[in-house]
Amino acid sequence: MDALSSWDVIKNNLPWLLWGAWPDGPLGGLALTVVLAAGSALGSAVLGLALGILLAVLRGVPRHALLGTLAFLRAIPVLMLIFWVYFLLPICLHIDVPGVWSVMCALTLISAAYLAHAVYAGIEGISKGQWEAALATGLTHWQTLRLVILPQALRMMAPSFINQWVTLIKDTSLAYIVGVGELAMVTAQVSNRVMIYPAQLFLFAGVLYFALCQGVTWAGNRVAKTAWQS
Amino acid sequence: MKTTLLAALLATALIPAIAMADRLDDIKKAGVLRVAAFDGNPPFGFVDEKTHKIVGLDVDYANEVAKRLGVKLEITPTNPANRIPLLAANKVDLVFANFTITDERAKVIDFSVPYFASGQQFLAKKGTLKNPQQITSLRVGADKGTTMEATLRQKYPSAQVVLFDDTPFALAALRNGNVQAITQDGSKLVAILGALPDKDKYEIPPFSISEELEGVGVPKGETRLVAFLNDTLHDLEKTGSAQTIYDRWFGPTTKAPLPRLFKIGDAHIRAE
Repeated sequence: MDALSSWDVIKNNLPWLLWGAWPDGPLGGLALTVVLAAGSALGSAVLGLALGILLAVLRGVPRHALLGTLAFLRAIPVLMLIFWVYFLLPICLHIDVPGVWSVMCALTLISAAYLAHAVYAGIEGISKGQWEAALATGLTHWQTLRLVILPQALRMMAPSFINQWVTLIKDTSLAYIVGVGELAMVTAQVSNRVMIYPAQLFLFAGVLYFALCQGVTWAGNRVAKTAWQS
Repeated sequence: MKTTLLAALLATALIPAIAMADRLDDIKKAGVLRVAAFDGNPPFGFVDEKTHKIVGLDVDYANEVAKRLGVKLEITPTNPANRIPLLAANKVDLVFANFTITDERAKVIDFSVPYFASGQQFLAKKGTLKNPQQITSLRVGADKGTTMEATLRQKYPSAQVVLFDDTPFALAALRNGNVQAITQDGSKLVAILGALPDKDKYEIPPFSISEELEGVGVPKGETRLVAFLNDTLHDLEKTGSAQTIYDRWFGPTTKAPLPRLFKIGDAHIRAE
């Protein structure tokens, strides 16, 4: 151990930090972080879009009920929701949700709540004149929304989506609370075994998170730009 | 009316039946023993660098229990704070995680007889901590959700307890001077001291402030399962397997040798 130069600790544990025990065991480390983030990004985009559209079209009591639910989801810490889904659902409702799914479920719900408001704001941002013009040409409400309003609104929403996805990537580190072996958790495992290199290990994990978040920002902006030009 | 009453009676009659379903039978039927163990607490439970499996003294005991039940062992990683929630939510059948038996915990879960014991001790720079009275004037680092934290607060209310998520952070704080001492099981501190590159600057003062008896955590009310565990543990001591397991992690050839002062069936740690 003494002869081990402090950065060798990363080299020696690299496969474990990058993909866990895979292919002999479950996926872990950075790869699981990517899976968790991608899964909840996709889920929250679909759910957020649907809920945002509902916010724009619903009126009265149903709209207030939806607003209340979204407010609730935005007000509770992600950590709490993960904890509830994992530990309280089995106790209260006898539903057993495995760790990976409870994290994805919690992140999807909370991100969708944030995105719903962004989608709603995007739809509202399109001038009323466009609705009227489209309806006057004989399009139905649904066609107007799908063919005229959303394509423009989604472009405006792109930065909000990218923002939310970057937050999502970082929030996957909260999965440690229920023992899901993503990057932050496997880093802690190695740190606990070697005991004296927490700075090196967590600095390395920090660099990986930074690279991942920057990658998403870059890719997201590129996609948004191409979509804008087309 | 009569049918609703009957249904209600039937429902209330069924609830105790469900609650009384025996976990020992469930485990045998499932063919799997689900155990929570530490993933970052060497040498009790930690991820092996080569095999990427959770190994350690606790896991060895869990393995022996699974072997005698004739079932497969499935390990779920845990941190100190999740041990009781994992049992309560039926995510695991047993907890083998350096689990100190306390009256407080015994209100919500059951314990087997202790299979390991150690005292709560301190690690500090040489000369800073000579006797227990000095603890009151120090900043002491402890791991969150452990009995160390509770004992320290109760016995030395004026000591400044600084909580850490993990032992490496507490250790880093000690080495940087953020805290003057850290507290842990003596058995674990010996291993930590052994891992330090500048170990000659540190010491484990020769006193302990509590005796920690560690048992298997069992869901509340599973008396048959507890009885099976106790029989198994006593038998492991009798056949010498307990000694073999101990020597694997604390024996003379290990990195942190420690004399064995507690055997399964003892009430307390023996005087050296």
